[in-house]
Amino acid sequence: MDLKRRDFLKVIGATAAGSLLPGCANVETRKLIPYLLPDDEIVPGVANWYASVCRECEAGCGIIVRVMEGRAKKIEGNPTHPLNQGKLCAMGQASLQGLYNPDRIRGPLQRDGKRGEGKFKPISWDDGIARWVSELQKRPGGAVMISRPASGTLARLFSEFMRGISGELLFYHPSEDAPVRTANRLGFGIDFLPEYDLANATYLLSFGAPFVDHWLSPVHFGIAYGQMRQGRPTVRGEFVQVEPRLSLTAASADQWIPIRPGTEGLLAVGVGQIILSERRARLGKGDQKRFEDFYTRFSLDQIAAQTEVPRKEMIRLAREFSTAAAPLAIGGGIAAVQTNGTDTMMAINALNILVGNLGQPGGIRFFQPAQDFSSGEAAMVAEQALADVRGEFKQGSRSVLMLYQSNPLFTLPPSMKFGDVFDQAAFIVSFSPFMDDSTAMADLILPDHFFLESWGDYAQAGITPVPVVGLGQPVVNPLYDTRPVGDLFLIAARQYEGALKARLSWKDFKSMMEAQWKSFLNRQGVNQPFEAAWIERLQQGGWWGAQGKPISVSKRELPPSVASARFEGDEKTFPFYFYPFPSMNLHYGQGANRPWLQELPDTATTAVWGSWVEINTKTAARMGIHTGDVVRVISPFGQIEAPAVIYPGLRPDLISVPIGQGHTAYGRYAKGRGVNPLSILAPLFDERSGSLAAGGTRVRIEKTGKQGNLVLVDQTAEGKKRAPEGERGEA
Amino acid sequence: MALILRRWAGTLLALGVVVVALIIGFFYSQGSADLWGQDRQPIAFSHQVHAGQLQINCLFCHRGANISPTASVPPVYICMMCHKSLKDKTPEIDKLLTYWNKKEPIPWVRLQRLPDFVHFTHKMHLSAGFKCTDCHGQVAQMSQTPRAATYEMGWCVRCHERNRASKDCFTCHY
Repeated sequence: MDLKRRDFLKVIGATAAGSLLPGCANVETRKLIPYLLPDDEIVPGVANWYASVCRECEAGCGIIVRVMEGRAKKIEGNPTHPLNQGKLCAMGQASLQGLYNPDRIRGPLQRDGKRGEGKFKPISWDDGIARWVSELQKRPGGAVMISRPASGTLARLFSEFMRGISGELLFYHPSEDAPVRTANRLGFGIDFLPEYDLANATYLLSFGAPFVDHWLSPVHFGIAYGQMRQGRPTVRGEFVQVEPRLSLTAASADQWIPIRPGTEGLLAVGVGQIILSERRARLGKGDQKRFEDFYTRFSLDQIAAQTEVPRKEMIRLAREFSTAAAPLAIGGGIAAVQTNGTDTMMAINALNILVGNLGQPGGIRFFQPAQDFSSGEAAMVAEQALADVRGEFKQGSRSVLMLYQSNPLFTLPPSMKFGDVFDQAAFIVSFSPFMDDSTAMADLILPDHFFLESWGDYAQAGITPVPVVGLGQPVVNPLYDTRPVGDLFLIAARQYEGALKARLSWKDFKSMMEAQWKSFLNRQGVNQPFEAAWIERLQQGGWWGAQGKPISVSKRELPPSVASARFEGDEKTFPFYFYPFPSMNLHYGQGANRPWLQELPDTATTAVWGSWVEINTKTAARMGIHTGDVVRVISPFGQIEAPAVIYPGLRPDLISVPIGQGHTAYGRYAKGRGVNPLSILAPLFDERSGSLAAGGTRVRIEKTGKQGNLVLVDQTAEGKKRAPEGERGEA
Repeated sequence: MALILRRWAGTLLALGVVVVALIIGFFYSQGSADLWGQDRQPIAFSHQVHAGQLQINCLFCHRGANISPTASVPPVYICMMCHKSLKDKTPEIDKLLTYWNKKEPIPWVRLQRLPDFVHFTHKMHLSAGFKCTDCHGQVAQMSQTPRAATYEMGWCVRCHERNRASKDCFTCHY
């Protein structure tokens, strides 16, 4: 290291001066400020733990929050919650940085200047609410609300309100899970998710399901996966992951099969055909003929050619799968985000039907979720539904856009032209606590509390074997001049005459929740006074019932068709498949304003604080690309530039980029950092679920000759690779 | 000349910093925080009167000491439990009433503060049978309250040795 004498002295001087600072500058720690009035619940120095529900993703884990002197300090999983059993993921841990985020919206704002200019000025709550309600009343039936999927009482409130004003309510969140849900609905006729019993499976065949990354509830399946591999004294479950890119989940598997993107359903059909032809299937009498007719339509050789999985390999998979004591097939991730996503998921479900694991331990089991707890009637929608909304705004049948913690301008590709809605809307109101990309376009912002400051409940629809309704309570007093979104909707309902006002007559959202819980607990036969039962539920963090019997599934549909996926962009000009994958830390960008999540290294590449382009080692060598070189990824719909990471864990004909960065707003940590790979996608959809086929756009890559400032944890400050232990480094 | 100055500027700067550091260090080692602190309490509260003459138990005011890591300073309300019905008027009691009427907490000056890398708990030491005076001195005889000990690591360790308490690093540094 080349350190000049003068630099050395500067450093010493600065250090010495710095060491004096705490004694002089930090006045706050030199005072002891007592309470004015003692608070019975607070002993200074002793922590209170409050149970609540995490709302950082859509899984709804139970949490307990450590609170000292009125400040939330640490979050852990709720040990008694059936979904996450005391565990919690990084996003949940980092939700504290949502609460204390310096870029939270601190009070109601109205647009100042042109729409989208990003200039806002404060407005009083009374004026803000009055303006919102008058805009709604000026345009009866003109409102569309795009909300993240709410649950429980809040979902019921939203849905009753929007029905009352003849508006449209869409529960939308970007994910790869819509085809999984749709396949269950079409294949088994059941609306909620099953328990995929990984814990008791002995052989797991997963087609892209990234269940330790972000699939459905990674915390729940992470625990189950641990059980499957190490929880039983004599059995270690085997696990094969089939997917074009090696995710963290694939990296945990016994075998990774890098299949050609979009052909996962064909492989499932191939495996199924072998199981049937070798007479290893455990089908009911009614199903035998139907299944044989279906499977004999396909040629194994063609499947092998299309999937690039050799016939021998398929036979081995089929035999291992069908002879296992408790086989289980699951699908998701990249296999789901294709134009044939739902068909693929149904073909994978058919494997479970073939080996007869429905309702069996270690298989797919549907358990009745909590009944009598109303979550309203609004269903979750996927991207296609938002494209339809665009049409409604264009025709002028809708003109008011309401956003609740949903960021369509970031999560939808510009090729869908959803920005038109923001241009054409007569009025846009957002209830988001953060200035995300879409909220920055709003005319009026009425910021909600952060979830750690709010009341809320969460009715679990599937996944757990017992019925669960989580109960969330404010663990700290609101930090800023924000208001619970539920209160706002109840205030607005009072401005309407007739049915709406009568149906939503509670004085605030908490009273509505208490009323809903009172009737719910009554029907569950809880014979305690409500006040006592309520406090008990708050302490436990919700209500969970006893495990019932799995529901018997009578409908067993095969996929209506099994074809290869369609791709946008011709193979000659755009030789690569492209997969933008949800980052484990940032998800679909929601985590980008939390520094803890930004600096959490990506598990495979160790990259932090930015975007990168994953390129296979062979491809990179052929094109002369090195780690850190900025490459341009070009699709028929746009281009992005980011530093390359040479990564052996993906097919040579695949390029992948993590989702989450590239915000145009969303606070100091997120804005202007990295690129958004969703921005170059084609408007392709999986027909049956309406979900965006994010894996359906082809790309080409170019060198730019520039060097990026890629930060990998696995390298020294000079950018050299760290030496393995016991060897000399390059530096 | 300018060249010479530039050559020596770094050294001079470093020397200056060292001298300042030495001076501050000297005051620190003399327990200067106490010298500066004790007369600057916003109210000249006397432990001699409260704990001595009136024989109020320490735990009546420092309610956290036996149940919490921190002993805690009493909420203003605790003072007022007695003072709202007392007729005595002194300038110092007037100050207390002013704080109370303005609904403001009293900004006491902190006399002792352990660095963040030390975890000390009052509760554990009281449970082990120590008296407040063992560490804080005979405050019942003092009208002003100085820092009674250095509260530095050597002081802790010597007592741990005398009482055969654990000297494992992780006892306090965790």
